[in-house]
Amino acid sequence: MVTLRQIRPLRLPQRFPAPALLDSFGAVLIALLCGALLLIVTGHDPVLAYREWVERAILRPAGWQETLVRATPLLFAGLAVLLAMRAGAWNIGIDGQVLTGALAAAIAADWFGGDHRVPLWIIAAVAGLVTGALWAIIPALLRGRYGINEIVTTIMFNYIAMFVTAWLVKGPLGDPDVVLPQTRLIPRDLRLITLGDTRVHIGLIMAIALVLVGGLFLNRTVAGFELTATGASPRAARHGQIPTGKYITGALIGSGAIAALAGVNDVLSTKGVFQGEWNPEYGLVAFALVFLGQRSIIGLFPAALFFGQLSYAADVMPRAAGIAPAFFPTIEGALLITLAVTVWIRHQRGKR
Amino acid sequence: MNIEAVMTAILSAALLSAVPLVLASTGEAIGERAGLLNLGTEGIMLVGAFSGFWVSLRTESLALGLLGGAAAGCLAGALFGIGCVVIGADQVLLGLGLTLAGGGLTAFLFRELFGSSQPLLPTSAGRPFNTLAEHLPVIGPGVFGQKWFFYVAWLIVFGAELVMRRTTFGLRIRAVGESPQAVDAVGISVTRTQCLAATIAGCLAGLGGAGLSVMELGFFQPNVTLGLGFIAIALAMLGRWTPWRIAVIAIMFGLLRGLGSGLQLTRWDVSPDLLQLLPYVGVIVALILTGKGLRMPSALGQTYAQRRRRRPATGSATQE
Repeated sequence: MVTLRQIRPLRLPQRFPAPALLDSFGAVLIALLCGALLLIVTGHDPVLAYREWVERAILRPAGWQETLVRATPLLFAGLAVLLAMRAGAWNIGIDGQVLTGALAAAIAADWFGGDHRVPLWIIAAVAGLVTGALWAIIPALLRGRYGINEIVTTIMFNYIAMFVTAWLVKGPLGDPDVVLPQTRLIPRDLRLITLGDTRVHIGLIMAIALVLVGGLFLNRTVAGFELTATGASPRAARHGQIPTGKYITGALIGSGAIAALAGVNDVLSTKGVFQGEWNPEYGLVAFALVFLGQRSIIGLFPAALFFGQLSYAADVMPRAAGIAPAFFPTIEGALLITLAVTVWIRHQRGKR
Repeated sequence: MNIEAVMTAILSAALLSAVPLVLASTGEAIGERAGLLNLGTEGIMLVGAFSGFWVSLRTESLALGLLGGAAAGCLAGALFGIGCVVIGADQVLLGLGLTLAGGGLTAFLFRELFGSSQPLLPTSAGRPFNTLAEHLPVIGPGVFGQKWFFYVAWLIVFGAELVMRRTTFGLRIRAVGESPQAVDAVGISVTRTQCLAATIAGCLAGLGGAGLSVMELGFFQPNVTLGLGFIAIALAMLGRWTPWRIAVIAIMFGLLRGLGSGLQLTRWDVSPDLLQLLPYVGVIVALILTGKGLRMPSALGQTYAQRRRRRPATGSATQE
């Protein structure tokens, strides 16, 4: 028997959660304050460090350009996490999908790419999409059909992807002319073209377009509504004749395909090659990003910018201000914890 | 190399490397039984590993280091419990936050304190049953030749099994994860039970991390656990939240991992990368074979808002 309380009411996420995004802004400030505190405790000058941070990593052209470059794959990864989350599934397998997708893109570009840019990009993207989807298919089916928890299976598939791709580039798929385990280099003039004189490339425009399309799908189509309903309240959705299993499976496969695009983007732009030990570990950051954006499509953009900035700062700041790169993951963690706690602050405010 | 030496090495490495995993996984299982899905296990293990290492280095005592790691884990676990249960924070969000913050903070502090130097701990811990080890081939060194922490850890896991299965406290933990409403209705504090479970879970994860850095490796490195915390979460689920099943699975996981490195010593020509796959593929195969009827604790991942004053539940909530 089903008690009435067990059916959660169908509460759909907001399209533009303005007050919630303000919470996120506050959480960022608190996290930065925590970071300053940590710097004081460890004997650094926080004012000096933060001023250096703003100057080097944001205001200089290399700073904001590199921020956009690094935000690009994060947008793909964030959309992937968000899509699965809307259907009520946790795709922790982003890392594996990025790796397999990137390797497939590098190989496809090398074998079938030819000498023209656009066909090469399309072939690489399709190869990445298909591989990412295939990599997600087993966890997706296990979850959708048999209800086997996707958190465990996707984590395992991350490790499997790491070892399989490493083995493939060391052996059968590696470039025989190079000692390092990597695929053949894609020539610079065949990679994604940059915008003007900047380092920013058209991958960014594609990412923005894809996120907008994803937003239209989730918020304006019947399938998007049914997928969101599946995640918001599976029982209510099933009562409404929505095939929840199919939507969960589909969302996880789609999520894998989109996640792979983050890898394709890197191979076609900054990397130009798939290397054996390369693992950008976008997975955790993508989750942080989606939560920072309050699980909304619009929120993905500022959140991706912020995390892109952190990623660049982690590279620049060790030399600029003598701050270990691990400082920035600490801020990310403090940010998530603060975000989690804002629920309580909001609740207290509501009581008054 | 003769086959007996290889088997001996595989077995003792598997049993040893299973220890941090089985501790963290048992902790995770206790937390999940109470309805708390803690994705922060990785971060808590790192906090335990770092604190354990630091305390050992300062006090020059391995036992104090382990205690320090466990205490730090307790603290982190208690924070997670209070955050989820009292404050009502999202468990996944808070867990991932702990993983990121734990990993970042320990790496940052390690670099601040030690720069690029790599201090080592003394690795000479007592091996209480070593005399027995010499008389048995293959299993002797693996089972009886280990450091004392090895036996303490397995005792703790055995104790956790007893507590969960045989005591009122264990029953309360299991009940709170299935139906917090029912537990609340009979007058037991859901908040206190869940917070305690989270603290114990954190303690075991911290001890697991300290076991890794202080006992197994003798050093700390940023991100030294290499995802062990996430594997612990997987094993907890695969072992259906029972410590003895988790123990068996963790040993099999260790054996598969050891088999990978063991096979490299033989003449058989297989890529080491592919051999490293074995344990992870094993987990997935095991899940496919056994996972179909897997029933999660009903209230896992949900926050229960305990009422301050208890009153009879109103109308619609109790209608069957």
